[in-house]
Amino acid sequence: MHRNFLTLAAAAGLAHAAVDFNREVRPILSDNCFACHGPDEKQRMADLRLDTREGLFATRQGVAVVTPGSASQSRLYQRITHEKKPMLMPPAATGRTLNARQIAVVRQWIDEGAKWDMHWSYAPPRRPEPPVAKSPVWARNAIDQFVLARLEKEGLRPAAEASRETLIRRLSLDLTGLPPTPAEVDAFAADKTPQAYEKVVDRLLASRHYGERMAMQWLDLARYADTHGYHIDSHRDMWPWRDWVIGAFNNNLPFDKFTLWQIAGDLLPGATREQKLATGFNRNHMINYEGGAIPEEYLVEYVVDRVETTSMVWLGMTMGCARCHDHKYDPISQRDFYRFFAFFNTVNEKGLDGQFGNAAPMLPLPSVQQETELAEVKAALASREERMKKFDLKALVADWERDHVSRLQPARRDGLTAHYEFDGNLADSSGRYAHGKASKGEPSYGLGASGRALDLDGDTQLSLPGAGAFERGKPFSLALWVRSGNGKDGAILERTESAATRRGWELWYDDLEVLLGRKRESNLHFRISHDLASGDTLHIRTRRRMDYGRLNHIAIASDGSGQASGLNLYVDGKPVAFEVLADNWRGTGAAEAPVAIGSKALRRPFKGRLDDVRFYSRALDATDAAALAGGEAIRAIADTPAAKRNREQTDRLRDAYIAQAAPEELRTLDREITQLKARQAELDKQILNAMVMGEMESKPRDTFMLARGDYRNKGDKVTAETPSALPPLPKDAPRNRLGLAQWLLDPDHPLTSRVTVNRFWQHYFGAGLARTSENLGSQGEPPTHPELLDWLASEFVRTGWDVRAMQKLIVMSATYRQSSAAPASLAERDPENRLLARGPRFRLPAELVRDNALASSGLLNAHVGGPSVYPYQPPGLWEELAYGDGFTAQNYVESKGADLYRRSLYTFWKRTSPPAQMAAFDAPDREKCISRRQTTNTPLQALILMNDPTYVESARKLAERTLTEAGKDPAMRLRHAFRLATARRPDARESRLLLDLWKQRIAHFRTDRDAAAKLIAVGDSKAGAQFDAAELAAWTTVASVILNLDETITKE
Amino acid sequence: MFDPHANALFHTRRQLFSRASKGIGLAALGSLVNQDLFAASSGDESRDPKTGGLASLPHHTVRAKRVIFLHMSGGPSQIETFDHKPALEKYHGTELPSSIRNNQRITGMTSGQASFPVVKSLFKFQRHGKSGASISELLPHTARIADDIAIIKSVHTDAINHDPAITFIQSGSQQPGRPSMGAWASYGLGSENQNLPSYVVLLSQAHGLNVDQPLFSRLWGPGFLPSRYQGVRLRGSAEPVLYLQDPPGIDRTARRGMLDAVQKMNRMRHDAYHDPEIETRIEQYEMAYRMQTSVPDLMDLSKEPEHIFDLYGPESRKPGSYGANCLLARRLIERNVRFVQLYHRGWDQHNDLPRDIGLQCRGTDQPTAALVTDLKQRGLLDDTLIVWGGEFGRTVYCQGKLMETNYGRDHHPRNFAMWMAGGGIKPGMTLGETDDYSYNVVENPVHVHDIQATILHCMGIDHKRLTYKYQGRYFRLTDVHGEVVKQVLA
Repeated sequence: MHRNFLTLAAAAGLAHAAVDFNREVRPILSDNCFACHGPDEKQRMADLRLDTREGLFATRQGVAVVTPGSASQSRLYQRITHEKKPMLMPPAATGRTLNARQIAVVRQWIDEGAKWDMHWSYAPPRRPEPPVAKSPVWARNAIDQFVLARLEKEGLRPAAEASRETLIRRLSLDLTGLPPTPAEVDAFAADKTPQAYEKVVDRLLASRHYGERMAMQWLDLARYADTHGYHIDSHRDMWPWRDWVIGAFNNNLPFDKFTLWQIAGDLLPGATREQKLATGFNRNHMINYEGGAIPEEYLVEYVVDRVETTSMVWLGMTMGCARCHDHKYDPISQRDFYRFFAFFNTVNEKGLDGQFGNAAPMLPLPSVQQETELAEVKAALASREERMKKFDLKALVADWERDHVSRLQPARRDGLTAHYEFDGNLADSSGRYAHGKASKGEPSYGLGASGRALDLDGDTQLSLPGAGAFERGKPFSLALWVRSGNGKDGAILERTESAATRRGWELWYDDLEVLLGRKRESNLHFRISHDLASGDTLHIRTRRRMDYGRLNHIAIASDGSGQASGLNLYVDGKPVAFEVLADNWRGTGAAEAPVAIGSKALRRPFKGRLDDVRFYSRALDATDAAALAGGEAIRAIADTPAAKRNREQTDRLRDAYIAQAAPEELRTLDREITQLKARQAELDKQILNAMVMGEMESKPRDTFMLARGDYRNKGDKVTAETPSALPPLPKDAPRNRLGLAQWLLDPDHPLTSRVTVNRFWQHYFGAGLARTSENLGSQGEPPTHPELLDWLASEFVRTGWDVRAMQKLIVMSATYRQSSAAPASLAERDPENRLLARGPRFRLPAELVRDNALASSGLLNAHVGGPSVYPYQPPGLWEELAYGDGFTAQNYVESKGADLYRRSLYTFWKRTSPPAQMAAFDAPDREKCISRRQTTNTPLQALILMNDPTYVESARKLAERTLTEAGKDPAMRLRHAFRLATARRPDARESRLLLDLWKQRIAHFRTDRDAAAKLIAVGDSKAGAQFDAAELAAWTTVASVILNLDETITKE
Repeated sequence: MFDPHANALFHTRRQLFSRASKGIGLAALGSLVNQDLFAASSGDESRDPKTGGLASLPHHTVRAKRVIFLHMSGGPSQIETFDHKPALEKYHGTELPSSIRNNQRITGMTSGQASFPVVKSLFKFQRHGKSGASISELLPHTARIADDIAIIKSVHTDAINHDPAITFIQSGSQQPGRPSMGAWASYGLGSENQNLPSYVVLLSQAHGLNVDQPLFSRLWGPGFLPSRYQGVRLRGSAEPVLYLQDPPGIDRTARRGMLDAVQKMNRMRHDAYHDPEIETRIEQYEMAYRMQTSVPDLMDLSKEPEHIFDLYGPESRKPGSYGANCLLARRLIERNVRFVQLYHRGWDQHNDLPRDIGLQCRGTDQPTAALVTDLKQRGLLDDTLIVWGGEFGRTVYCQGKLMETNYGRDHHPRNFAMWMAGGGIKPGMTLGETDDYSYNVVENPVHVHDIQATILHCMGIDHKRLTYKYQGRYFRLTDVHGEVVKQVLA
């Protein structure tokens, strides 16, 4: 242990070099002392502050907290080494203790004169001169000078440059997220010019996949997802914003514009669509639509999320702590928090939203064509509505009602065998006394087409004994009003004898197709059977889908022929076309069962409204149907006093007047307006939109301090301002998001540039120069190469925030080009590669693990952008958690064909059930902003790579590709497959090992062809017919092994 | 004495660990944390080489080595189950007095109601066992184990709607982002089993007819802890763990052959790169291979005797059902799985409460009681903690129309009933009292953070000392709150 301690101390350079306050002392004080002696005023003990210069060097009761030059005369040192337990700091109750080394550091620092400096990240970055190393030959750019100087100080030397195969794979994965093709590898290997490497870099930086790769990290930061996240977690459309991000990187939008547009693009004078779309960044937070949730509570949560996200992304700071109290470690007061909050608190949004797709404010994104058409429709509508004004419609309807409605003929009652008006009871008013009865639950009644109507909740069950005994050879009709509450394959009415034969008849709406938004349409079915199983049945379905969510009048009439040709179907009094699905009814169809309503016997129970159900022993004709749908209802409405009519009734009366009695001009106008409105609605539905920021126009919301962060505890009113410990907002800057963005982008801002280049570094090296990329504050880790970080930050600003140039600078460095193979001694001495004496080696991020397999095998669909897709996922993962019918994104419907093989960043991201195979590889759930992913290593990952159809199919495609492209020699085939996945050739041992496996497997599959056939059938794509199944299966197993290698899923 | 910071810098745990464990062949699955090979942030603490748990744990005597949390999602009504309120006979149909409601907030679903009529329970209560616990007729089987459980009638929570409330009881915070309780337990205590996850989640669907309650994977998520600590869902389907089955055409021999090739290739890579992640991957693949046997073995109920199915009820033969999941929970406990989180959906009875709570209780009562009984007869109840409860309770006033045989109740955070049993818990007691309306706690309030502190306490963890540094702050399950409920401790 003693030896270890020395080694560590020596390695850390502590024992000899002077202690650096910011790098070594402040973290100790912050972690152990600031919680009680830091910025949080309310928690501060003994009125002692250790986070400020004044506090540290104050003299209290005659003794200095810190006496520079003398630890023993410093109260701080005395207390952290006190012999008496109750006096020892930190107190035992905090659970924190200082170890010997930390105490030694503090002692050395004081003894050396206690040099104090403000926290490194709050001072503007200087531009340090790159140090000149003793052996400068290695260095290619300034990055290397900093790295090399540090290595020399440690007595280390950089690693050799990685092989060309490794380099091009590393570059390709880092800059595009896709592996290089063998041709690209060969070209690079063959290029002997000095610019060979740079040419590859430039090619990759110009690739359209560069934007995708860069976007991946930004999507984590932006907590981008395709659902709202809370509770019901229904679908949203933010992919246009995601595509904007990809485009912004591809077009190398400078980071200042990239920032400004996302924070405040909507506030720019004459903001373009693109600038507005960019503000979707701060709308990607979770949104709630839980019934019963309290809107004010969630309005606060949304703004808090914006504060937390914006501060983490641009300030590398976790301001969230200050929501409830002053920050315990960083100089962010609770007041600072709410002043920052005020920037984001005036969005024109609702507390509960997102029930159907996006939540306001939204930006419509019509295509040029849609835009033109919409304008035309609106103009046409306006002109018609103008012309409509000359008619006093209300008076006209009233006159008509007075003069004509009362004289309307009632529908004929002959042949009426049962009639249920549902006016608060189940009585049959046909005179035949076939009264209905409740077999389960109690029915309830609402306002109907005429009088009251029956409302069913899906649980109440009724039967109508004696009604609806339809038989072949006898004419019959059925008429009713219906509005379905779910349209999910629920029987409306049925009279069936048994589930086996289904003898009798059924009327139902079929399953609604899963569509975006509030689409409520399905087809209506009627079927009458003698024995369904043997095909003795007559079955029709409406040709067009109907809006099942409105009250429809339906009449079905049969002439007694028992054939489809003798059937008529009327909807709202008009004949409608239907498809004949079966026309082979031969038996009787007379079921020994009552008419059932709300039954669960065969389908989901009906939920919704029924009214005026009638059964006839004759075939209704068009006049009957029109009278039932029109006249009867109109008469009933007219019986209701005008003041008591509901909207539906008023509209129905008005429609009837227009249809039956209005002057031609009015009738035409009305028809045109209806059509135009329908077209407008259709267009509105088709036109994509995205959620964006938008200010409240009239009365912007006030911001108050909230005690303990609770929306109910309003305190002082505050206005928008930046944190007081950071440079102030310029006097002339607007106190809104625009001003905030300008403030962030001030070249002297201490954080924006540092935080950003640090994250770029993390992209390449797996960890930032300051490893806690989400937190560069007091509790974050100090950078391993502070001067390099500052130099890069200043370089970023100097180049006009040129993102692509910064990527190029990093990958052009010799530091980046080092081999990641480490001698055991180095791996032991610096396991996390903090000193950068070797190249980065990290398991690929979740998206790339899959993309690499798809690309190697040739399955990848490289299309850029567009709506998110649904690749393979085991069935039921969503449904087991889902809310159920009526909301979007509750059922996972797998994509078909090419969409199964899109890049992983296009996978539909449901927050409450993130894509399983990506979650297993540490992809975040996207509920909150994430700056740094973790990298774990679990058996679940092994199971996915071995057994997930994505990888089994990829292995088979990789095998097919090999068999097609690499000739007949097994060794050449193996080499090709291996290169496709890893970019390098296997060495002799590796080849032998894999070929042995191949020999074993092919021998096996030749004896078990069935197994071979099964293996190569995995996946949606079909195996080429030209391949021998045993051979393809054997190569599939070899390819699967290759796709499972650590090397394959690792960037080396 | 090592400085954890310097330690992480120059000698990461994963290295120390991979050396320590070599030859032991332990590995980790998701929440199975025999080894913490995660490239930890600085400040990571040293770990026990056997379990992968924190070496500093347990903080005190372990009373419960394992936990089963039976979460009744949606908020079961306390008034129909454990909080008997005879006075409601008298108040039935009358307006809830404002002195009782006391201006407390109510949800958006009933805040618009003109009237708040008090509803008594339609169901009868009786005293049971030596302890005389008052339990409703809806729970005849639970009544039989009254002397094994400690009922707490005075639990209260901060949240009033499902998403925040269920997130709160599982993670200690109403907002997403924090680790779930099981993840904390896995992180702190590691695993005693080499072939199964240490934190397992079982979902069962509702028995009632109204099922308007979603669940979220965050409820068993790792939050900011490394993702390996997340709960692993065991499904009642053909593939209990995702992608567990070899693809068609690949038999066990083939799999072993392929695996051997992968392992040898990875070993060669390790020799060149000395990256400890490669060693870990080799071990993870072995673990995956073992799981392909251990999980089907776990799920295979065919050797369970008839009387066990009788005990758990007829549904226990149906994979994925609550009954089967309770039986599975016992099998997991027998295999030393650390934390089993069982969800039962459908307790959100805003309307048709009498019907639906009846169905829910009928579906869960017998298996729940069977689980306690079964563990007890196997001697496992002594060191297994069972917790039963929802995320909040339900209002004494009626939601919707009050009818003679039908009513609904809205969400009620101010008091609800839970029970605990087994390791560390005093059996046969009832704690806490509410007012005549079951609307306010009047005696021994127990906050959700107190429940969490108590669960951790039974597991040998001081809830104030199990922390994780994230974004510069030391987080814990109970935030800055929580007191162990000493009264229910044995």
